[in-house]
Amino acid sequence: MLKNTCLKSDISFLSSPPLTRKTKISLTEEELVHALRNREKIAIEALYDMYSASLFGVISRIIVDTAAAEDVLQETFVKIWHSFSSYSTEKGRLFTWMVNIARNLAIDKIRSKDYKNQNKNQELENNVTFIDEQRNTVYKPELLGIKDLVLTLKPEQKSILELVYFKGYTHVEAADELGIPLGTIKTRLRMAIQELRKHFN
Amino acid sequence: MEDIKAYIESGILELYVLGDVSPEEKLQVEAMASSHPAIKAELDEIESSMESYAEEMAIEPPQQLRDKILNSIVLSFADDNNFPTKNKPVEKDNVISMPVPKANNFYKYAFAACLALLILSVAALINIRNQLNDANTQLVALSTSNQHYSKTVNYMDRQLNVYRDPSFKVIKLQGTPKHSTASMLVAFSPTKKEVMIDMADLQLPENDLAHQYQLWALVGGKPVSLGVFDKSTADTAEMKKMQSIALAQAFAVTLEPKGGSVNPTMDQMMVIGTF
Repeated sequence: MLKNTCLKSDISFLSSPPLTRKTKISLTEEELVHALRNREKIAIEALYDMYSASLFGVISRIIVDTAAAEDVLQETFVKIWHSFSSYSTEKGRLFTWMVNIARNLAIDKIRSKDYKNQNKNQELENNVTFIDEQRNTVYKPELLGIKDLVLTLKPEQKSILELVYFKGYTHVEAADELGIPLGTIKTRLRMAIQELRKHFN
Repeated sequence: MEDIKAYIESGILELYVLGDVSPEEKLQVEAMASSHPAIKAELDEIESSMESYAEEMAIEPPQQLRDKILNSIVLSFADDNNFPTKNKPVEKDNVISMPVPKANNFYKYAFAACLALLILSVAALINIRNQLNDANTQLVALSTSNQHYSKTVNYMDRQLNVYRDPSFKVIKLQGTPKHSTASMLVAFSPTKKEVMIDMADLQLPENDLAHQYQLWALVGGKPVSLGVFDKSTADTAEMKKMQSIALAQAFAVTLEPKGGSVNPTMDQMMVIGTF
């Protein structure tokens, strides 16, 4: 891993055995949190191996542009590493904390001036599909490995989950967007997650 | 228990997990969760299912992204500031900060003033030295001319004394027919046996380098040489003392080869005067 690192000096002692990465590091959540607190390098590697795909899945659904999504994934891990002291196990699961960081960074990104300006420079002929992409969650085939899950959720439950989970809408904004009363939104969101719980258990 | 059930069913826990709660609601949920195990358990369930949901929809990021991201974090391993405080070096040191001297322009200006003064002084020194040289030159010139004048005065005194002395007889030698314009004065004192010629009043043509004038005294019809002299362009206002003689009837001057002759060359006689 470090063979293409620009660091020439003392950093080599930090590297674990030559990384021919076929085996992924996996730790229990407890071990992981402990290692992260101690700023161990193995911890950030394990964290990446265990959660990068899940986080990238969330980020990729928020940001269509792959390069920007990769940037956000990097920002997410850097932020997790640097602000880990603000996480405590009493507040909930590690993943919940991380996915909130990832989602917030991703949403900040698509709302940022740069990103918007970049999108303004799109070719006109691409605009129809582009606007579609912006308004709707795109289901690329690789994102869709969950047919039964899709079938599990009713369309109205799905759309609310999409808006709140992937678009960064608050439930109040989602209620506006969908023209549904606030109470109904909360109920449907709860029902959607109940369905997921049933599905996964 | 009804309250807890209602709280769970309100959907606030789901919103909490999705990060869609205000900071106050967040604190409230956390407080409720820590005091009611049922709520804590429900939260855990929701979180696990959302985690599973995310896992279900996971997208494997590109392999090279792993290296890039981990490297960017590993880079920060090299920075000591990223480690907890226990690894930080002890802040306390024995460096005592010295009071910072006030910025003072005085020495700058003093130095500039000194420099300016130095340049002025050197200029003045050179000027005064030149004046001193001039003064010295003038002094030498003046003392030279002073010497010259005192010499002149002395000489004139002597000259005057010749004329005042009653023992001196002044004879005017007249030009021979060949040189009618020539004339000169000879002063002769038989008592002091002195013969002087007045160089200032010498009316003779200039002699060349090969010839000199020779003064002769006629004693008992025989010429006796009294020495040679020159007539030069530079006027030497002087009385020239010639060889002494006690007795003479006449004086004459002839032009002779340089150094004089034993016998006068008669046809070169310039002037003659009888006592």
